[in-house]
This record gives sequence, C-alpha cells and structure tokens, in this order.
Amino acid sequence: MTPMLTDLGIAFGRVAFVMLFVLNMGGLLTWVERKQSAVMQDRIGANRASIFGLRLFGLFHPLADALKMLTKEDFLPARADRILFTLAPFVSVLFALVAFAAIPFGDVLQVGGREVPLQAVTLNAGILYVFAMLSLGVYGVMMAGWASANNYALLGGQRAAALMISAEVAIGASIMGVAMVYGSLDMMEIIRGQGRPLFGWLTWIPAWGIVTQPLAFVLFLTAGIAATKRIPFDFPEGESEIIGYFVEYSGMKFGMFMMADFVETVVIAGLTTALFLGGWQVPYLAADGFRFPWGAALTLARPTVVALGVLAFCLKVAMACWFLMLIRWTLPRFRYDQAMRLGWLGLFPLSILNVVVTGVVLLAWRSA
Amino acid sequence: MPKLTIDGKEIEAPAGTNLIEAARRLGIEIPHYCYHPGLSIAGQCRLCMVEIGNNPRPQIACNIQVAEGMVVRTETAKVLATRQSIMEFHLINHPLDCPVCDQAGECWLQIYYMKHGLYEPRMMDEKVHKPKAVPLGPHVILDAERCILCSRCVRFCDEITGTGELGIFQRGDHSEIGLFPGRELSNPYSANVIDICPVGALTDRDFRFAVRVWYLETAKSICPGCSRGCNIEVHYNLRRPHHNQGRRVARLKPRYNREVNRWWICDAGRYGYKFVDDPSRLLLPARRADTQADEVVWEEIIPLVAARLSAYRPEEIGVLASPQMANEDLFLLRRLVDHLGIPNVDFRVPSRASGDEDRILIKADKNPNTRGAELIGLGPRPGGLDARGVLRAARERRIKCLWVLHHDLLLSAWPEEETREALRALDCLIFQGSNANGVSPSAHYVLPSATWVEREGTFANFEGRVQRFWKAVEPVGAALPDWEIIGRIGEALGMGPLPATAEAIFKALAAEVIAFRGLSYRELRDAGKPVASS
Amino acid sequence: MRLRQRFYLVEVLVGLRVTAAHFFVNLGRHTAHYVFGRKDARGAVTVQYPEERRPYSLRLRSLHRLVRREDGSPRCVACMMCETVCPAHCIYIVAAEHPNPEIEKYPARFDIDLGKCVFCGYCVEACPEDAIRMDTGILEFSSYSRRGMIYTKETLLALEPAGPDGTPRSPIPIPADRTP
Repeated sequence: MTPMLTDLGIAFGRVAFVMLFVLNMGGLLTWVERKQSAVMQDRIGANRASIFGLRLFGLFHPLADALKMLTKEDFLPARADRILFTLAPFVSVLFALVAFAAIPFGDVLQVGGREVPLQAVTLNAGILYVFAMLSLGVYGVMMAGWASANNYALLGGQRAAALMISAEVAIGASIMGVAMVYGSLDMMEIIRGQGRPLFGWLTWIPAWGIVTQPLAFVLFLTAGIAATKRIPFDFPEGESEIIGYFVEYSGMKFGMFMMADFVETVVIAGLTTALFLGGWQVPYLAADGFRFPWGAALTLARPTVVALGVLAFCLKVAMACWFLMLIRWTLPRFRYDQAMRLGWLGLFPLSILNVVVTGVVLLAWRSA
Repeated sequence: MPKLTIDGKEIEAPAGTNLIEAARRLGIEIPHYCYHPGLSIAGQCRLCMVEIGNNPRPQIACNIQVAEGMVVRTETAKVLATRQSIMEFHLINHPLDCPVCDQAGECWLQIYYMKHGLYEPRMMDEKVHKPKAVPLGPHVILDAERCILCSRCVRFCDEITGTGELGIFQRGDHSEIGLFPGRELSNPYSANVIDICPVGALTDRDFRFAVRVWYLETAKSICPGCSRGCNIEVHYNLRRPHHNQGRRVARLKPRYNREVNRWWICDAGRYGYKFVDDPSRLLLPARRADTQADEVVWEEIIPLVAARLSAYRPEEIGVLASPQMANEDLFLLRRLVDHLGIPNVDFRVPSRASGDEDRILIKADKNPNTRGAELIGLGPRPGGLDARGVLRAARERRIKCLWVLHHDLLLSAWPEEETREALRALDCLIFQGSNANGVSPSAHYVLPSATWVEREGTFANFEGRVQRFWKAVEPVGAALPDWEIIGRIGEALGMGPLPATAEAIFKALAAEVIAFRGLSYRELRDAGKPVASS
Repeated sequence: MRLRQRFYLVEVLVGLRVTAAHFFVNLGRHTAHYVFGRKDARGAVTVQYPEERRPYSLRLRSLHRLVRREDGSPRCVACMMCETVCPAHCIYIVAAEHPNPEIEKYPARFDIDLGKCVFCGYCVEACPEDAIRMDTGILEFSSYSRRGMIYTKETLLALEPAGPDGTPRSPIPIPADRTP
C-alpha cells in the first residue's frame, strides 16, 4: 500500500465517521423527539410503522417519513425563483453538516506509524471554522424566504435571520471565555486542556469547561438552542401554527429543512461536549490508563484508551441531545421581541461580561 | 266625521268605517279571521273582540261602526282572556298539521296562537276528523280539518265572482267547507280563496310542497298577463335551489292597489309566470350561418347586428316592437328607429286566439303595455308599412331585414304558411326575446332578453296608468334587459352612449314624450300614476 | 413577577425537573412492563384506538339515521324544519305527495352532506316527528370524494340505533367510491 493511499484511506475514514455519526444521529433524533416527548407526557408515541409486523418501538418511523417525503409532490410556486428555491434547503443542510467536521471525537491514534487526530479536519482555529459554518446557515433560510415569492415566507425568513444573528453573536462571545481559559482556538487543544485537574484541594475534579466557565456554558447552551431555531425559539416557523420561511416547501425539500434543524441540534450537542463537557475525555483516564486521585491505577493499552474516549464522546453527545430535547419539550415559545431582548440585552452583554471577568481572573492568576 | 278614542288615542274616521279599519289607521292591530275589507261582514270568528265604553261584554270590532265619542279598548285583560278562549275554541279540532301544511309560516292561526294561545291544552277528546287533501278545482286543494269556518272563501265566490260554488255543510263541530254537488271551483279567480284563507285549509295545488314559505323573498311587480296591470308580489326562492326543481320564481301573489285590482288577481295571471324558469329560455346570444347556430358573446354579436342594420336601406328594414316590452325598452327602440330612419315600424300583431274579457279584472288585450307603445309612438311612420304590410313586403322581397321583438308571428291571426314564407324570404332575421318560439329557430341573430322579473321598468295599463315593476332575480344565462340590448346596438350605430339604468331612460322618456311628462320613478311609487290626459 | 421568575433560569430548571421526573418515572414503568413483564405497570395513558375503544357516551351525536314507520317508510314528513335550522345548510330535502292523505307529505329525497355537517344536533332537536336521530354510534365515515360524503335517504333509513353500550349495530355505510 502506498503511503498516499493510506493517507487517503485515513482521511476518508475520518470524514466518513463524522458524516455517518451526524446523519444517523440526525435521523435518530426524529425518533428520539417523538418517543422522548411521549414518555415525558405519559403517552406512547409513534409506534405504527412496521416491517412484516415488526414495530421496534417505532424505530421505522424515520424511514417511513423519508419514504413519504421522497414520494410527495415536489411543488414549485408559480412565481418562485426556481434556482434559489431549489438551492435553499441544500444550503441549510450543507452548512449544518460541515460544521461538525472540526469537532474532535477522539484522541490521537497511531495508525501505521502516523499520528491521526480523530477529527474530520484538523484545524488550528477549529472554533472559528465551526462558528463560520453555523453562521452561513442563515443564507439557506433567507434564500428560502426570498425565493418562495410569498410575503409570509419572506417575513419568516427575516425573523429566522434576526434570531440566528443574535444567537451567533452570543455564541461567539461566550466561546471566547473558553478559548481564553485553555489558551487555544484548536478544539483538540481545548479538549486536552479539559483533561487536566483543577487546582488546590479541587484536584479530584477535571477542569471541564462547565466547571471553569459555568456562565459561558449557560449562555452558549441558550444561544445554541436559539441557533437551531427550535422551541422555545421556533417563532421563525413554528411547525404548524406560524407561517414561516418554508411555507411553500413540500416533500423532501421540506424534509431537508427539518433535517437541518436536527443536524444543527447534533452540532450544538457536539460543540457543548467539546467545549464544556471535556470532549472525549474520560475522568481520571490518562494516556496509559486510569489514575484515580486516591492512588489506585489501572493500566490500559493505547487503542483501548482511545476507543474509550470515542465512546465517551458519543455518550456525551447523546446526553446533550437528550437534554436539548428535554428543554424543547418543556419550555413554551418566546415571542419574537422577547427572544430579541434576550439575545441582545441578555446573552450578549453577559457573555462580554464573562470575557472581561475571565480576563481579569486569568491576569490575577498568572501574576500571583 | 265621528271622533272616537281607541286605546287612549283619538281618531277621526268617516261614518261607516268599522272599528278594525279605524284601529288600523292608528297602527293598532285587532286580530281577526273572518273579516276581510273586500268582503261582506260575517262575524263568524269572534276573535276581534274589543271593549267599548262601559259595556260589560266585549263586542266584535268588525261589525261595529265608528260613532262620536266612542271609547274603545283593545288590550284589556278581559279582551285578552276572550281572545285566548276563542283561540282555544278554534283549535279544538285543528290538527297538529303544521309540519306538512303549506300555510305554515304565513298562517294567522300560528301567529295569533303565539300571541294569544292557551299553551296548556285542555282538550282531551279525539279530534273530529274531516276530509283531507281534497282538490276543489284546478288550483285549490282543501283540508277540511284545518278550516276554522271563517267563510271568507264562501263569501268571495258569492260576492266577488258571483259563481257561488262553495258552502258550509253539516252542523256543529262537524261543519265543513265544501262544493255544492256537481260543482267545481274553477272560476277564473278561484285561487284568490287561497290568499284570503287565513289558515291552511285552502292551499295552492301549483305551489303545493314546492318551497317552504320562509325560504321565499319578495319583490313588488306588475302582472304582465293582460292590459289591466294588476299589482303583484313575486315570491322567489334563491336560498334553497334544490327546491321546486330549481325554478326560482315560486308563486305570484296579488298586491293591494285600490285603483287597479284591489286585493285580487285572476288565475291566468297568477300562474302565467312559468316561462321565466322554463327550459325554452334563450340563454346565450346566437348567430346562425346556414343551418349551424353558434352561441357567441354580446361583444361579438352587437357589432354584427349593428352592421346588418346599417347595411340595408331604411325602407328595406322592418321592426316589430312588442307591447310586452316596458316603456323604457320601447322608448330606446323608437330612438333607434328614428336614428336609422326606418319607416316600417309596428307593434300590433293580432293574436289568433281572441282574448277573453270580463267585468272584474281580465282584459281581452293580453299585453301589459299596449298603451305605452301607443303613447311612445311605435306605430308605422308616414309612408311606412304596418306589421301585416311588413310581412307582405318581405314575401315580395321588398323588406330584406326584419327585427322581431318577442312576437311569435306563427301564432298571429295571419295565415301561418304566408308568415313562414315571409320569414324564409328574408335576407336577415333578428329575433329578440326571452324564450324560444316559432320565430327564433329561423332567426339569423338571436338576442336573449331578460324577463320582467329579472329587471326593472314600467308598464302603462289600458287606462294609461304607469306602474313600476322591480327586479326580483338575476337574468338567466347571458340574457340582458331589452333596453340594454337595444341601447348597445344603438351605441354601436352612433346613437349615443348606453344609459346606465332603466330609471335614466324613464327620465329621458318623461322629458320627451308629452303623456309621460312630470312622471319619474320616485313619483310613481308603489301604486303608479296615470299619464297626462291628452 | 417575582425576581426569581423574572430571572427565568431558575424556573426553567424547576420545569425541567418536572418533565425529567415524568420521563424517568415513565421510563421505569415502561421497562418494568416490557422487560420485567410487570403487565400492571403502565407508563402511558394512551388508548390504542382502532384496536382499543372506550365506550361512547349515550349522549354522543354520531351519524344520523332516519327513523322508520312500521312499514319501513320514513317517519319524516318533509316539513323542512331540520333543513331550515341546519347552520351548515347540509340537508337537502325534496318533498312529494304521499298517497295517504293522513300522512300527506313525504321526502322524495333526503340527502345529508356530511362533508358540511357540523354535528350540532339541531336537526334532531327541531324535528317535530322524531324522524331524525343521531344515535347510530357510527363515527367512521370518511370518504375519498365529496360525493362520497353525501348520504341519501335509503342509506340513512337502513341504519339502526347503537346498542346500549354505544357500539354501532349497523355496518358502517360505505359509499361505492370508497375502498375500505
């Protein structure tokens, strides 16, 4: 095997893992959404789709949804802009998908003498990349609203854009604190930083972002939910009761907008995991095995350690998704003006404050 | 004139007026069944009881005439108790038929029961059963159980028509209305007994189960059946189109006009509206080339007709106006004829069947507006031909273009074969009318016009009384009022713009024709006005 | 609003606690039911409709029926009361002369357009002959066409009242254009 082919294979594997992970999680989330809400509300939830009588707790419903959407009429309004109208859902999904590329899902793995960091793309300013991709999602929404040739769709697109911009600003500002604490914009570095223990008598606690930057965590999570345009921030479209930017869409194009929302949820969950929940870090798991603060130790082989890390990452993302769902099925919807006030007068100033306080504390810390 | 007080209000009424009429002038309604202002007083129903002065017993208002200083009270406790008792008597043997009764909704028994009824019935015995659904004649059907024996119908046949077919038979609560042996209620005014019957005993065979009366809407109108010009109401149903087989006009009812028909109309007029919703209605303008008839739109046919009318010399054109048309139509037609200089104009086409006439209402002239056509001047111009002459000239190919409005020339008094020959010889035959008839199949241009209930206008009756009729329903298909068709053709021929409304035409007519001077729609009101005597 | 409520975050957490508690308790019940075979543990109050049915109320207004006389003809005398009172204008009656003068009038046509019907029950209230009732217990009569929602006199006459427990006793009348 030539080194070039090996490189290609490794690169392909990294990308494939991320793609499959995100897409499957997105698809699975439609099932989770139904089932989790049902369990929360003393219901059973969708359970009718079956293959040869096999129902599997409604796991075939995402499949049935996809089948239905693919076979539905693909309607194009008479005065719509044909190109932009068709392009909009693809743009939405695309940027949500590629945002995940910079999020590491495991430690560095040794393959054939190469050091392979487990993330789709290795970037030393990964946060900025993720951030940029998330922001570009606005274009899909705006294009949809504009190209539909429908005033309601246009207004929905405007609302979505306003919401997403106010959320992105807060996201960016709250991440700054994290970057300052761990001294890097490289996601891998940030996660490594979270593996170190805290100081003083708190050394038994790993320095996860949620511990070092609790305010940023709350702000990021809130703004992150807003960026996904889901309840309680779903006033741009509001599945059945508010006319939104994809009012003219049907079939799979509509499905792609829905999917973009779910993929964005996975991305926000992934980012939360990477920045605040220690990424692929397992507590007390060092590069060569477990080392507990009370002195006990368990030596493990390197691949096992990495595998444990990947598993931990997946679990953490799943937990974050569950939490986002819990919020989505608990809180009532904000009004447009309330969300704007929250974004610009709440989240944004608070995240700036967080940056200032973090900076002051860090300065004091280093000079001490 | 005697001055009296009714319910504390003073009124002066001419001697001989009875108390019901005097109270009506004050806007006080005294309930009654048997009394009818057009009939003699029977005092049968006893419902119109009022208290007079210090008289201890209530008395019937219908048969007491006004007197100086009389004090009448119509709503005292005693009067109300009396009414309630009398209503109880009337209803003892009255069946609970309202669901199947055609009168329901316009029944005075229902109305007064709601006001004065005894809501807790005390009658426990079996009701007396009498014949139901008995046809009395071609138009009237009797339900003897529902009858309250007010005898209005008997008096009508005795006093108004003088035919006396009806009587009251048997005794006591077995009394019932019936026909004298061997008789049939078939006089020409028989259906009026339906109108005057206050309950559902006499109902209309033609209207039977057709439409519930509460679905009906009304429009004031004039009967087009003869030159009497009886005032009528058109009752039409648009709310439930599935009733009455989709026919919109459900019935005609007489409308009181002291000067013309009082309370009555004849049966021929009452049932003469069937052509309005008939399948023979012309729906779309049509143009015929060879044997093929093409239905077209007005915008297409108006210029064609105008072009044909201007293609011939005026002497080659004949116009046969109709006394079925309103004054507004006739006036515009006269303008058009004068504009083109056509001398051969007439409106008199004698009918083959000679019309019957009597001394009550029916006139021999079966056209509603013959007088109007005369006054507006649609007879032959000097040197022009009359209707008969036009047809003769057409046979000799001296008349090449004929415009027939409404007339069925094949039913005229003239030999049918000669008429056919004349129509065949024509170069261009224009037919304008509401229904297909003997002329329309051979016409080169067919212009569908609206019937009188689908538009407004005026007729002048045989005495020269100009009376308005109002629009009840929309024209069928693309039909237009005659004045609009003529006006559009005139517009295409450069006669000036099409008037916007019938009222505007009447205004111009009143300004131009001496007989109509001083008249206007506002002036005519409901009852109409006679033309100026020449 | 109190300060705590204005701050919102605390209230959010309180709300999340409620929903999360429901989630875990129900999840436990589901697990007990499906995994450990505890059939009495139920994590949901859902009624699985077509298979499971709750008894209908006796006052339920279901598909109309026309009440029959002893000879099977309709009791209706075509008085148009129901047609008049119907707020949806969904009843179409055409009256005709009955050979028996004691009955006099009967409906030659009696159509109800269930696509328009709002199931207010006014027709039942208005009927002076007790000729129309809404007690068949039939609620499933969807159709693929508007025409299929129009029920004729013959169909309505053939229906029976529901049993004492509210279950329909006549088959659901399936219009010709509807494949079940």
